[in-house]
Amino acid sequence: MSTYEQGIIILIGINIIAVLGVSILTGFTRVFSFGNAGFMAIGAYVSALLSLRAHAPFVAAILGGMAVAGAISWLLGKLTLGLRGDYFLIATLGFGECVRVLFEYLDPITGGARGMPGIPAKTTLPAVTISVVLAILLAWNFLHSRYGRNLMAIREQGMAAEAVGIDTAHYKTLAFVVSAIYAGWSGALYAHYLTFIAPNMFNLDKSAELTITVVIGGLGSLTGSVISTVLLTVLPEVLRAASTYRMLFYGVAVVLIITVRPAGLMGYREFSLAPLHRALDRWRARRLAAGTGAKP
Amino acid sequence: MTAILDIKGLDKFFGGVKAIQNFSVELPEFGIYGLIGPNGAGKTTIFNTITGIYRPTGGSIRLQGRELVGKQPFQVANLGVGRTFQNIRLFTQLSVAENVFIACQSDADYNLLGALTRLGGFRAKEARLREKSLYLLDYMGLSQVAEAKAGSLPYGHQRKLEIARALALNPRLLLLDEPAAGMNGDESRELVDFIFRLHAEFKLSILMIEHHMDVVMKLCQHITVLNFGLTIADGTPAQITRDPGVIEAYLGREEQPC
Amino acid sequence: MLFQQLINGVSIGGIYALMATGYALIYSLLGFSNWAHGDVAMVGAYIGFLCFAVVRLPFLPAALVAVGGAGLLSVLNERVAYRRIRRNNSPTMFLMIAAMGLSVTLQNFILVTVGPKFKTFPTVLPVKSVSLGGLHIGVLDLVSLAVACVAICALQFMITRTQAGLAIKACASNMRVSALMGINIDRYVTLVFFLAGALAGVGGLLVGLKYTVYPLMGNISLKAFIASVFGGLGSIPGAIVGALFIGVMEVLVSGYVSAGLRDLFTFGLLIAVLLIRPDGLFGRTVEEKA
Repeated sequence: MSTYEQGIIILIGINIIAVLGVSILTGFTRVFSFGNAGFMAIGAYVSALLSLRAHAPFVAAILGGMAVAGAISWLLGKLTLGLRGDYFLIATLGFGECVRVLFEYLDPITGGARGMPGIPAKTTLPAVTISVVLAILLAWNFLHSRYGRNLMAIREQGMAAEAVGIDTAHYKTLAFVVSAIYAGWSGALYAHYLTFIAPNMFNLDKSAELTITVVIGGLGSLTGSVISTVLLTVLPEVLRAASTYRMLFYGVAVVLIITVRPAGLMGYREFSLAPLHRALDRWRARRLAAGTGAKP
Repeated sequence: MTAILDIKGLDKFFGGVKAIQNFSVELPEFGIYGLIGPNGAGKTTIFNTITGIYRPTGGSIRLQGRELVGKQPFQVANLGVGRTFQNIRLFTQLSVAENVFIACQSDADYNLLGALTRLGGFRAKEARLREKSLYLLDYMGLSQVAEAKAGSLPYGHQRKLEIARALALNPRLLLLDEPAAGMNGDESRELVDFIFRLHAEFKLSILMIEHHMDVVMKLCQHITVLNFGLTIADGTPAQITRDPGVIEAYLGREEQPC
Repeated sequence: MLFQQLINGVSIGGIYALMATGYALIYSLLGFSNWAHGDVAMVGAYIGFLCFAVVRLPFLPAALVAVGGAGLLSVLNERVAYRRIRRNNSPTMFLMIAAMGLSVTLQNFILVTVGPKFKTFPTVLPVKSVSLGGLHIGVLDLVSLAVACVAICALQFMITRTQAGLAIKACASNMRVSALMGINIDRYVTLVFFLAGALAGVGGLLVGLKYTVYPLMGNISLKAFIASVFGGLGSIPGAIVGALFIGVMEVLVSGYVSAGLRDLFTFGLLIAVLLIRPDGLFGRTVEEKA
């Protein structure tokens, strides 16, 4: 495999992790945020600083980036998740821009608008592969448990979710923090792959890109998010297109999808309660055998 | 019999609109009480203040002695208050089984770490939740349609599903908001039997809002009549059918000859 | 010095107000944030530049073509994307997603066709200042403010005094009932989008004249959104107040604190306001019936 091909796969992996976070937040909880690039930036810069200044080992640097992103998202979430959809959106957008502006301003620490070079190149193909597998596994387990189910309940009918005892504020915050941690993870890996980061890499375009990717893959489908990330990362490369065409493609694609096939590539599919159905079959079989409609 | 639900002097004003004024009721344990009145009388508003969606302007609501005012809706639910909604609020895009499965969440005694790692008996705990939801579905007669999308069910079944979902909470108090809405005579009779069964099997105390007078008369031991937020009568079904104020406001008065 | 800054702030605020008004108009009608609004303004600026600097039309006709073009583009957006989504009965969020897509499409379309280089308008108005009792206001700023005032007043007149305006208010209040009353919803939606687009076009031209024309200039609409959220989504007076406030604040922060932190203050203020008044300054809370 050539370095170029390896690079593509690493980029796909890094994007998948960030997209998974947004998928949980937007696809499964229906909370729209335009600030997740800001959390990627936090993950990137914190991990880079830990690697460069504190000479921290790779895993520690990544975890540090994730932790800080998570902590800040928890604070932001507490302040803003009570706001209505459009207002929350603007607040997260504002947050993303503030992070970028702040990192540009804190020149002595972050290198300002010129960026921070010299980050150790520790994101190898094996590292990304392990990360992606872990990220998907954790996301899957998270969603196929009462945590994921509660998020979907909140997505469907917030009032009914409360009526069955779900603390919607708590779970929305949880989804937001999870998405931020994933974004931080992605950012940290990105920093140690590119070895150079600058604030304008984590701008509004990037946040929009993450949401668009989830929409195209299908709101409410992890497989959809993974597939669309792969497609949207690979396609422009395959078509030998410059980055401008890539964004143009994104724009047209999302408009097409949302008007013609809003369910995206996968729609609600993939989340199936297959074990529940199997249990149902066994139940029916038992009833048939017992011959009556008696309860256990 | 101790009162399971004790509401005293409940007020709810929306700015200048006095939606509820000085509403009081003492629902004894295992009682079935009714709330009737014309549309807009404030009945659903009372439910919403009990469950914490609205904060009352005044008065107190006690569930077995515990004050509910100021609690968040999910806290009220977790204290054992189940409810159905006037405009059915099912998780329409999810399956029938999933609707009830989700509602069992308060019984799930694993934490985030357990969910992420699948350790600590996660599978066994999930299996127990599944058994419970299937049992409830079977009880409601909905197991045949367990995999159908909740939004695709006929109206009557959707109402039953809402009740099944409320029961998943192991409630002590069940608030039913117009359970017989849209039903014809036969269906209403079935519903009355069904609610009696529920009441006995699950040892519930029930407060219901209903417009179908035959359902109310058969089920409720005590009825409160509301109009424009005010209580115009309360008592046994026999008493309120004879109350002239109720007859005028709600049940209809005979035309006086000129 | 402070007054001078205030004047500058009001001038910028006027442009933000133009954009915020169009945005609030669409929000009050369809209930969604039209992310493509700023990019419609941007295209208007480019059309103006094309007509004036390249085709060499006289300025006023060029401006008219630009404003009209922006209006038409806005209508096109509605026809192509938003109308379909409304017809599908999709959730309102989908409109916003489509708007995002349109925004990205428009920006990159211009980037790909015209190129990323900044374009400067040839001088239209004399670049001198008018002195009023010691204060200097650029002629352009003065004209800009005047144009913004006239445009907004014209809109306000139309909404409150004409039949069409009444129909639009009805639609904004309850679309389904309006349709049942015989109002041709599609026609009025088209009208609203045209008006909003035209206002955006004026705003785009003014920004282009004051600064430069470039593909990402639509991001100025971000300030307009903030102004609208600040004032309360859907409220036109709120949007105007918000816009003026932000314009003034930006200039003050740039002047007295630091130009680099300007946006930080704007967003910080926004979050602070939302925490105190979650529906904006003049926003209305609509309680959901349970």
